[in-house]
Amino acid sequence: MGTDRGLRAAGFAGMLAFLLAAPGFLGEYQVHALIVSLTFLLPALGLNLILGYAGMLSFAQMAFFGIGAYVSALMAMRWGTPFWLNLCAASLVAGIVAVPLGFPALRLRRYSFVMCTLGFAVIAQTLAKNWVSLTRGDLGLSNVPRPVLGLWSSGLEIRSVTQYYYLALALGVIAVLAFLALVSSPAGRYMIAIREDETLAASLGAPTWRYRMAAFVLSAMFAGCGGSFYVHYYTVISPTIFDPYYGNTLLVIVLGGGVGTLGGVVAGSFIFVALSEVLRVAPDIRMIAYGLLLIVVVFGCPEGLLPLLMRRLRTWRRADAT
Amino acid sequence: MPPDRTAALSLRGMAKNFGSIVAVDAVDLDIPQGQICGLTGPNGSGKSTLFDCCTGLQKATAGRVFAGGTEVTGWEMHRIVREARVIRSFQKAVVLRAMTVEDNLVLAGQMVAFPGFLATFAIGRANRSGVRQLRERAGDVLDLVGLAHMRHADAGKISFGQQKLLQFATMLMADPRVILLDEPMAGVNPVLIERMIANINRANRDHGITFVVVEHNLDAMKALCHRLVVLSRGRIIADDTPDIVVRQPDVVEAYLAG
Repeated sequence: MGTDRGLRAAGFAGMLAFLLAAPGFLGEYQVHALIVSLTFLLPALGLNLILGYAGMLSFAQMAFFGIGAYVSALMAMRWGTPFWLNLCAASLVAGIVAVPLGFPALRLRRYSFVMCTLGFAVIAQTLAKNWVSLTRGDLGLSNVPRPVLGLWSSGLEIRSVTQYYYLALALGVIAVLAFLALVSSPAGRYMIAIREDETLAASLGAPTWRYRMAAFVLSAMFAGCGGSFYVHYYTVISPTIFDPYYGNTLLVIVLGGGVGTLGGVVAGSFIFVALSEVLRVAPDIRMIAYGLLLIVVVFGCPEGLLPLLMRRLRTWRRADAT
Repeated sequence: MPPDRTAALSLRGMAKNFGSIVAVDAVDLDIPQGQICGLTGPNGSGKSTLFDCCTGLQKATAGRVFAGGTEVTGWEMHRIVREARVIRSFQKAVVLRAMTVEDNLVLAGQMVAFPGFLATFAIGRANRSGVRQLRERAGDVLDLVGLAHMRHADAGKISFGQQKLLQFATMLMADPRVILLDEPMAGVNPVLIERMIANINRANRDHGITFVVVEHNLDAMKALCHRLVVLSRGRIIADDTPDIVVRQPDVVEAYLAG
């Protein structure tokens, strides 16, 4: 167990060193792909919290991502608020919206809960399309201001891809640390217990409904942050953000990387986004190849890539020891 | 009859129907502080349902529950555990299999070490010092029940009997006043049954914990309990010391008929 922890720390340190140095030896396009990965990492962490820790599959993640994006864009465009404030507001609004949604949704279990969150995603898209006075409907919002790092309107404006990259990396690191703190707190232990056996958790004094709500709200807050960064990077947002494609990508990252693990989801964000980008060399068969590779992953390691890797490492170490 | 407010647990008119089937039929029962009370009866006589209704897992059709003088009727399960300190075990779902033995105990102790909801989101030093204390207590409790050598094993990989001992240990971590045990000895080998009886006796003697034990193993019940209550078709048909109860003709008949 101790060596696993050492291995994990070493893995994260190595990865961070690589990511810090990456713009030095990668081209602009590859750095852009890394930014996309880091953008997906935030809602993926949220999905991992609610699915991997609290045991509930939510399709509402991209709805909260979209809410965060619209909130950020509207604030920046109408009031010229600074990036940090947009980010906090996006996260907060997503979290606040999650509360009234959680009341009906968390009464449900398993498939009913999944269906309910799917409903939220559909409603979010419909609202974005039809609330034209606020969202400009299908046209979407464009010319969203670039992020400015400063207390108010003056400060460093993020322009180059490299600058964006380091901003995304900083957000990613903060999010990973926040996630780690959360899941290793007593509340995180209760969430795992609720995932494993809700009745048993309640019998040990866990107010299970509150923790499921907390997981739902916090997952929305992670997604809201991701949406905020997304909109300041692309500087456009439209209702297509609620398309199932994005939600599916999140699922692939979390399930393919290793649900309920932190390293798996971090690795998954890079691997599956990179995979999708690499396959652009063959645009005709890109999505077919992507789908086939997913099938291979599912058959090869049903628990996800990281758990498979960890098991291999453990077996090798045991073989070395004997 | 008014509830006995000095009792550890006092039930008045507890009833539970499933449609037209009466599982528990207007049961009045007082368990004095510090008693080890056995509860037995044929399958389907309403023992587990009675537990479920006392601990908030199921809503009773009628009746009231008092724990240490406080009415807990209608409370949610986690609140009965936290505030009334009445905790229960289950026949089947025994432990969290994906966690280590020690983590199972830390989890159970969290309600004592981190009592508020927000306190459970503690990070940094507050988290570490609280969890360190729980790990120390977990070590003591494991020594007590005789599972110290299993501390870092996955709870799902130890034997069923050991899981039952672990479940008993998790309940001790929660500082309970009353422990309701649902068939703690079913499927457990004789050596571990001996150990389970010793553990219950010690917790009762040293910490004054009141016990209600549902069990079919009458020999174990005779060795353990101060008092034996027999349920049949949702009603109490006998309530006395174990030696007297097992000789009652209607008890013998209920068992044979059941």
